[in-house]
Amino acid sequence: MNGTQTRRQFFQVAGGGLLLAPALMRAQSSTVLTAREVVARIKRNVGVPWRTPTADEFKIGDPDAPIRGITTTFMSTLDVLQRSAAVGNNFVITHEPTFWSTTDIVSELRDDPLYMHKLDFIQKNGMVVWRFHDHWHARRPDGIFAGWNKTMGWENYAIAGANPFSHEYVVPETSFEALVRDMQIRLKVRSMRLVGDPKLRVTRVGHAGHYIQECMQVLPNVDVLIVFECREWEAAEYVRDAISTSEKKTLIQLPHEGGEEAGMDECARWLRTFVSEVPIKFIPSGDPFWIPG
Amino acid sequence: MISGQELIDRIQKNVGVPWQSQRSDGFSDGILLGSPDTTVTGIVTTCTPTLDVLRRAVAFGKNTLICREAPFYSRGERAPLFWRNGPAPSKELMDNDAVCRTKQEFISKNNLVIIRFLDNWEARRTDGQLRGLARALGWHQFHAAAIYGGGDYQPQNVYFLLPKTSLNVLAQNLKEKLNIRGVRVIGDPASTLHKVALKHGLLLVADAERLLREPGLDVVIAGDTVEWEAGPYFQDLVTARKAKGLILIGNEASEEPGCGEVTEWLKSFVTEVPIEWIPAGEPFWVLSQTKVLQ
Repeated sequence: MNGTQTRRQFFQVAGGGLLLAPALMRAQSSTVLTAREVVARIKRNVGVPWRTPTADEFKIGDPDAPIRGITTTFMSTLDVLQRSAAVGNNFVITHEPTFWSTTDIVSELRDDPLYMHKLDFIQKNGMVVWRFHDHWHARRPDGIFAGWNKTMGWENYAIAGANPFSHEYVVPETSFEALVRDMQIRLKVRSMRLVGDPKLRVTRVGHAGHYIQECMQVLPNVDVLIVFECREWEAAEYVRDAISTSEKKTLIQLPHEGGEEAGMDECARWLRTFVSEVPIKFIPSGDPFWIPG
Repeated sequence: MISGQELIDRIQKNVGVPWQSQRSDGFSDGILLGSPDTTVTGIVTTCTPTLDVLRRAVAFGKNTLICREAPFYSRGERAPLFWRNGPAPSKELMDNDAVCRTKQEFISKNNLVIIRFLDNWEARRTDGQLRGLARALGWHQFHAAAIYGGGDYQPQNVYFLLPKTSLNVLAQNLKEKLNIRGVRVIGDPASTLHKVALKHGLLLVADAERLLREPGLDVVIAGDTVEWEAGPYFQDLVTARKAKGLILIGNEASEEPGCGEVTEWLKSFVTEVPIEWIPAGEPFWVLSQTKVLQ
C-alpha cells in the first residue's frame, strides 16, 4: 500500500464531508481558537523544519471548528476520547494512531463495527484528532525523551551515547530488580517483561529504538537495554543469547506506552507556553495490559 | 544414513502441499545454515534456535535443528513492514557482534544444520501449531469443531467453548498450563466468558476482524500483537463493549507446542535417527504482581 495514496483516501473518507461546513464559523470571530491555529503555532514553535510526508496530520474532524479544550495523549483510544469529551476537550493531540495502523488507513475499515462506533463518537462530540509524532521526536531534545527523563528523574544521568539514535544513561549502581521496580512505579506500568539476572549490579542503561540492528549497536555499551514495541524474536532472543555467552546483560521490554507516554505530558507543558486561550490536559492512555499474579 | 538434503527432500514428499521455497519478503523454508551434505546424527525441533537449545542439541548428539525462527534475531523481512519489525541486521554488524560471532562459531564447529520450516508447515490442511497449543492446554474437549463436528484443527477452526469462567481465572490457567510468566491481558479481570479464539503467533487487526465475525466471541488468545494496531483495537473493543478482552501469551509460548507436533509428524517418516522436541522456553520473567498498579 502506498502511504501517500492511503492518506489521501483517508481524508476523503474521514474528513471529506466535514471540511465544507466551517467557513461560517471562521467568519464569526477572529478570537475563536481552532485546531488549525494550534497546529500552526506548533509548527512555529517546534524548532525543526516541517517535513513531508509526515504522519503529523489531522486524522478526523473539522480543523476549523472552534475548540474548547485540548487533550494530549499517547494513544487516542476510545477511552481517552470519552474522557476528553467528559471534560469538554474537543481537540485531541495524539502521539500514536487513532485507527489502529501506522498511517491511520481507514479504507479497509469501512465495514468494521468498531470503526463505525469510534467514528460516530468522534463526530457526535464534534472532536478533532491530530497526530503529533514525527516532529515531536525530531525536536532537540526529542520531546518524548525529554518527558521520559523527567518522569524517571534521570535528566542528570543522560550521557552522549555512541549512537545518534540511542538514549543512554549512567545511573547510580543498583540491582537490576531494584532498577526495574523503581521504573515500574515512576512510569506507572504493569506489563514490563524482563530478561536477565535480577541480582546483577547495573549502572549503564540505554534505549535502543525498536529494531534488532539498533539493539546490536547499543547492547555492547550498556548493562540494561530498554526496548518497546519490538518483536519477541529480535531483542529478547538476542539478549538471551548474549547471557548464554556469559555476558552480564539485561533487557527491559516496556509496554510501548511506558516508553513514550511521559513525552505527551511534556507536550502539554510545552503547549501551555504558547496556547493560553483554552485548558490543556494530559490524559494518559495508560498501560493497556495487566499481568495475572 | 540420511543427509540434510535427503531430510529436506523427504519433508517435501510428505508435507502434502506444493512446496513453497521462495519468499519475497523474508527467509524461505529450507537450510538456513550448514551444509546439505552433512550426515544427520539426530534432529531437534524447536521454536527458536537459541544458543542454549543448540548446546543441548549438541550435548544429546543431535546436529540438525528444525525451527520456526532463524538463529540471528530476524525473520529476514525487509523494513519497513509497516514498521512492525526491523530488517535483518547487516553482515558487517553481525560480523562485529560478539554474540553473533560466538553463535556462528558454535554452529560451524559442531557442523550443525539449521532448517527453517514454517510456511510449508502452516500451509498444511491441519494447523499443527493450533493443535499443539490446544493439546498443551488440554482443550480438545472444548474445541467447537469437535463439539459441532465438521473438522479437526483446520486453520479456521480456532474457537473453543470453555466452561464459564472469568478473564482472570482463564489468564491464570494459561499461565499454569503453559508454564509461562509474561501473560499480558486487556479487559476487566472479572468479566465472564465462554467462547474464546486461539491464534498462535502475531495477531493483526485483519485477524481480529475475521475472528470477531464469530457470533458470541468473548476473548481472543494470541501470541503477540503490535501495540499500535490490534492492541488498542482490543482496548477500544472492550471500551465499546464489543468483546471481553485479549490475552497475549507471547510468541514463543504460542508457537512452541506446535514444534512438538513437528517432532511427532517427522517420526512418522524419518526412522534412521532420533528426533526430539527441545522447547526454547519463554525468554521473559516479570515482577510479582501482588500490588498491581492502577
